[in-house]
Amino acid sequence: MDNGTSNSASENETITLKSCDGIEFHIDARIANRYTLLNNWNGGESACIPNVNGKVLEKVLEWCEHHINDPQLNCGDDDSRRRNTIIEEWDENFLSCDQDMLFEIILAANYLEIKPLLDLGCKTVANMMKSKSPEEIRSAFNIDNDYTPEEEEQFRKENEWAEDY
Amino acid sequence: MIELPNECFIQIFNNFQHDYESLYSCLLVNCHWCRIIVPILWSKIVHKFNNKNLINTCLLALNVEEQTSLIPFKILLPNYQKPLFEYTSYVTSVNGFLSDGVINWLNYNGYKEALFKWETNRDNLVKAVNRSLITMFLRTSKRLENLEVGFIVDNKFIKNLCKNDAISYLYLYQNWIASEEIAEILKNTTLTSLRLHDAIRLALMEKMR
Repeated sequence: MDNGTSNSASENETITLKSCDGIEFHIDARIANRYTLLNNWNGGESACIPNVNGKVLEKVLEWCEHHINDPQLNCGDDDSRRRNTIIEEWDENFLSCDQDMLFEIILAANYLEIKPLLDLGCKTVANMMKSKSPEEIRSAFNIDNDYTPEEEEQFRKENEWAEDY
Repeated sequence: MIELPNECFIQIFNNFQHDYESLYSCLLVNCHWCRIIVPILWSKIVHKFNNKNLINTCLLALNVEEQTSLIPFKILLPNYQKPLFEYTSYVTSVNGFLSDGVINWLNYNGYKEALFKWETNRDNLVKAVNRSLITMFLRTSKRLENLEVGFIVDNKFIKNLCKNDAISYLYLYQNWIASEEIAEILKNTTLTSLRLHDAIRLALMEKMR
């Protein structure tokens, strides 16, 4: 039966991935086959992944392993999937890590082209911003306000329609 | 906060489909976010056209010619400073609700004619503002795909329509247009779809018989 995955690797095959700080991970070859970028690096039995450190790669691979049997989505499904703001309980727990790690996971998923994980991370961050005031968002994400008071007032005025019902 | 590439921010903010309030809050966080959010927010204004504050910001984008055409109607435009962005360049769709926003704006700014449906001058006022705004959208928006027009189109309007190279759908309602003008529009614009008022359709069919 076609479960949506189109890989040829069998269950027992493993490959070795090495993070930028030299930590090795032995993973199910089906994971590497599933994601284009991991697959591209998988010339032999091991591959080195620059830009992603061991701590982050471990988290990313943990997510990939949990979702190994998910059906793969076609390009056309993307939009409807993105519109769905519900996050599964396992994913929610997985991403309730500290904020730096969450952003590192988004960066890694973007870099490694693991789209479903990237979507999930972005959705999680969006949920953290939802219905908050600009001040609350700034303090939640430790962001400096670089507007001059005049600029901020003008932006408020020009876009205040977005706040009205 | 760890810096993310812009494409990740775009993806984060795209989760706020019709959540204008959250987009507005994020826009006010800092300059960097503002530059990313303005194009997202202003591509969706079509659902907010009935809002007088939106009309106010759009009126700031009128050029001298578009402003001058409102002088005979004694319409006083908002006079505060030039907008910080060319917001209207991101607009993708303009529909008939623009009239509602214009009526709300006129009401709020004390044009008593706009209060009463049976006031004959009301229609003229609303159409004049609509015409100036739509001319401005055609001139400034690089992404304007859908346009609904409720006033009588003239040669000048058709000329402006031909200059916009993004538009693909046009709906002329409450309108009257000669078949020669339709031919000109179809020949010289990027339109792939033109919808006409039912009465025009019938008249055209009559002519073709």
